[in-house]
Amino acid sequence: MIGEPQCRQILETAIQVSRVDECEAFLGTNELSLTRFANNTIHQNVSHSDSQLHIRCVIGKRQGRSTTNDLSISGIVQCGEAARENAKLMPEDPDFPGLPETAPSTKVLAYDEPTAFLNPEARANIVQQITIHSERNKLMSAGFCRTGINERAVMSTKGTWAHHAGSIAGLLITSMTDSSAGWAKGSSWKIDDLQIEQLIEQASSKALSGKNPTTCQPGEYTVILSNYAVDDIISALNFYGMGAQMVQDGRSWMNGLQGHQAMSPLISIWDDGQDQNGCPAPFDCEGVVRQRVDIVDNGVVRNPVYNSYTAGKEGKLSTGHQISPVGGPSAHNLFMSPGIHSEDQLIQSTDYGIYITRFFYTRLVHSTGCTMTGMTRDGTFLIENGQITKPIKDLRFTQSYVGALKNAEMVGSENTLHINEGSSSTNVPAIKVNSFNFTGVTV
Amino acid sequence: MDQLLLSTLDTAKVKGAEYADIRSVETSQERFVVRNGAVETITRDESTGFGVRVLINGAWGFASSPEITADNLNKTTALAIQIAKASASHNRNTVDLGPAVTSKGTYITPIEIDPFKIPLDQKIELLLESDKSMAAVKKIRSRLSSLVFIREHKIFANTEGAYTDQTIYESGGGIQSTAVGDSEVQRRSYPQMNGRQQGCAGWEYITSLDIPGNSEKTAMEAVALLTAEPCPTDIITDVIIGGSQLALQVHESCGHPIELDRVFGEEAAYAGTSFLTPDKLNNFAYGSEYVNITADSLRTPGLGSFGWDDEGVPSQTTPIVRSGQFVGYLMSRESASTLGLTSNGCMRASSWNRLPMIRMTNVSLEAGTWSLDNLISDTESGIFMETNRSWSIDDRRYNFQFGTEMGYEIKKGKIGKLLKNCTYTGITPEFWNSCDAVCNSDHWVMWGTPNCGKGQPGQIGHTGHGASPARFRNIRVGVLR
Repeated sequence: MIGEPQCRQILETAIQVSRVDECEAFLGTNELSLTRFANNTIHQNVSHSDSQLHIRCVIGKRQGRSTTNDLSISGIVQCGEAARENAKLMPEDPDFPGLPETAPSTKVLAYDEPTAFLNPEARANIVQQITIHSERNKLMSAGFCRTGINERAVMSTKGTWAHHAGSIAGLLITSMTDSSAGWAKGSSWKIDDLQIEQLIEQASSKALSGKNPTTCQPGEYTVILSNYAVDDIISALNFYGMGAQMVQDGRSWMNGLQGHQAMSPLISIWDDGQDQNGCPAPFDCEGVVRQRVDIVDNGVVRNPVYNSYTAGKEGKLSTGHQISPVGGPSAHNLFMSPGIHSEDQLIQSTDYGIYITRFFYTRLVHSTGCTMTGMTRDGTFLIENGQITKPIKDLRFTQSYVGALKNAEMVGSENTLHINEGSSSTNVPAIKVNSFNFTGVTV
Repeated sequence: MDQLLLSTLDTAKVKGAEYADIRSVETSQERFVVRNGAVETITRDESTGFGVRVLINGAWGFASSPEITADNLNKTTALAIQIAKASASHNRNTVDLGPAVTSKGTYITPIEIDPFKIPLDQKIELLLESDKSMAAVKKIRSRLSSLVFIREHKIFANTEGAYTDQTIYESGGGIQSTAVGDSEVQRRSYPQMNGRQQGCAGWEYITSLDIPGNSEKTAMEAVALLTAEPCPTDIITDVIIGGSQLALQVHESCGHPIELDRVFGEEAAYAGTSFLTPDKLNNFAYGSEYVNITADSLRTPGLGSFGWDDEGVPSQTTPIVRSGQFVGYLMSRESASTLGLTSNGCMRASSWNRLPMIRMTNVSLEAGTWSLDNLISDTESGIFMETNRSWSIDDRRYNFQFGTEMGYEIKKGKIGKLLKNCTYTGITPEFWNSCDAVCNSDHWVMWGTPNCGKGQPGQIGHTGHGASPARFRNIRVGVLR
């Protein structure tokens, strides 16, 4: 970790050497250690750290950018010069509102020293717990244990200064037999929050009870989606359209749905970068304080998230969602409201349906309704008369995710945090969905 | 630099490494994006650093750092050693790397015009011209055009005596037009999916694509799709798949399952495994007699072209499928020796701070004998599909479903109505065994896939796939809800 004083020094230098009227400098540092295992042994074990200094120079309505990981004085000078020269070449963009005026950023605790500096021996010991359990149960396991630090700082000639450092911890387990697999994934910004034994049990029990699956014919089924599958739905709705740029371009699932009851009244989705129950990051790459944005409110589609550019086009203020230095806005710390039923109750309420642990390789088929295709994976089971009765082979679905949430009949009471590789997060429950459309089955 | 890197390897040996290698990488990247008439991005990105990989007691450790100084090289090597020892403490495997690799030499991507020497305003002008052509077409709601240029200078050395110096160039670009109607959104891209065709080549590659000259046509196709008939729903028919779509089909349904690390379960928790288990090598009808697939890292301008891989193994040609029979894998030194084979040079890392892993090189469907006109004439009824819009395949690479930006009905040997929202689905070996015709070299193009995700932490690989249109019989199409 570079630390706040040195981040400030680097960014002050970047602003000084850029020699333009308006300038913004963003510094992102990422340290990651990841111990990866497969076939019940560690096969890859890595550690890296890197920083990216991103300078945006503004000359009137022109802006130029440059990025470097060379944080020496000469490296910063070259980066600033390149950004300035790029700005001079840009045609004027009448929609560019200038750098945003920002409020002072709040501090949110998301940093845990033991997590940030967990050593390779400790990670190996965690992996060993998994592999010993696997061998005892005649399972093969694969996955990873990772820990790291994300640090970010922003400074601009508009008086912006913000700094935040957070830690991350993650444990992923796939346990397998010759004919089945089970999956578990834990995420937090504190290593001690990971329920290691519980995750091991979760993955192995699904693998053991999933042996010798039978084929279930494609068609419409009631499904119980575990929180892992719901993470995929919410992440896809974000990727394919929670950002204002996609809405303005007409490419978002939100187009035509804002203000409408497009989902079940049980569904509320919002983004909140300040909430410690996610993976908080209190400001964006422009230094704008992250606002809570209600995206779906009791099934009614509300608002996308904005950066300063897309907000300026609509005469609004940024909601603080310029997540990367370049590109459009997107949500980053998503939450879905829990319901009142346990996952077991969701299953018990189902006469005939399918329990799905997670989705795999999901891709957009059509932007209308966010129609997706993908596979089930790592634990798919038939539900009969309120009980899981047998494992089934993985199925392909082709299904509108908006439609799935419209057909949500029950929502689980327990939310689970998922932190993905870019440190975006979702905090979501399991749900019960009617009429989910399966279009194929694998071998 | 040479001495710094070599002394790092000495340090690793002194600290107990049975084997070590080091890569230093300097990457320069220029990116230009024009969106809806405005220049959204002009950026120059620089990234420099090194990674050290060590093997101790049959276990690997890898550490990397952006600061290439003697002190930091030692510190990073010590961390790699510590990590390898932690791995070894719970390891029962042994690692056989096969024959020593002692490659030496220099490689530079063959280019005619250095893209970094073309003035920035010339690049922007090309994109603005393309944008203007798209903007002239009514009902186009959003327009995107982009260029990217990459130069990667990489030095590799290992404790067996290898020392290679490579400079790899990539140039890429393209456009996307999105049309919006009353209740429909349709997109067209040029030259291929995501509006980005890319190759190991120079500026001449960009001019050969003639992006501005194809912009208006691309936008008009997007608008035409708004009122096109939808693909027939859930029927079985013959399909002719266009070259760029088939390139992605090769990537997903052949390129990934032949990665030997997947076969051995090393990607089981993430990307998945493979149905092409070792018992099938030289003993499995992957496709029909018309299917010939080759992995070839010598085939520029494919994005999988280089001098040596990131284990120092020379670039080479490997038959993968011959007359339908499965005959070869993509391999590393370690995985190859497990099968009693030697590496065919497929280990690549996306950056200095990533571990090398088995990646596709240029995995291509070899050209057949048909002209496209003759193939269409020979097709009584079916659909021609081109340019990928969506792709998904299961974790063993069996069940796939692809969508394309556009399709055309084929009736009695002639191209008919334009079709939108086309999809097709199948099971990989059944699909390739249904192939009964592949178009000839006149239609064969080396397509670039610069967005191949694999590994944890994630790596984005750049791969090449040559393909020409081909026909597949009795395919399920029109799965869309």
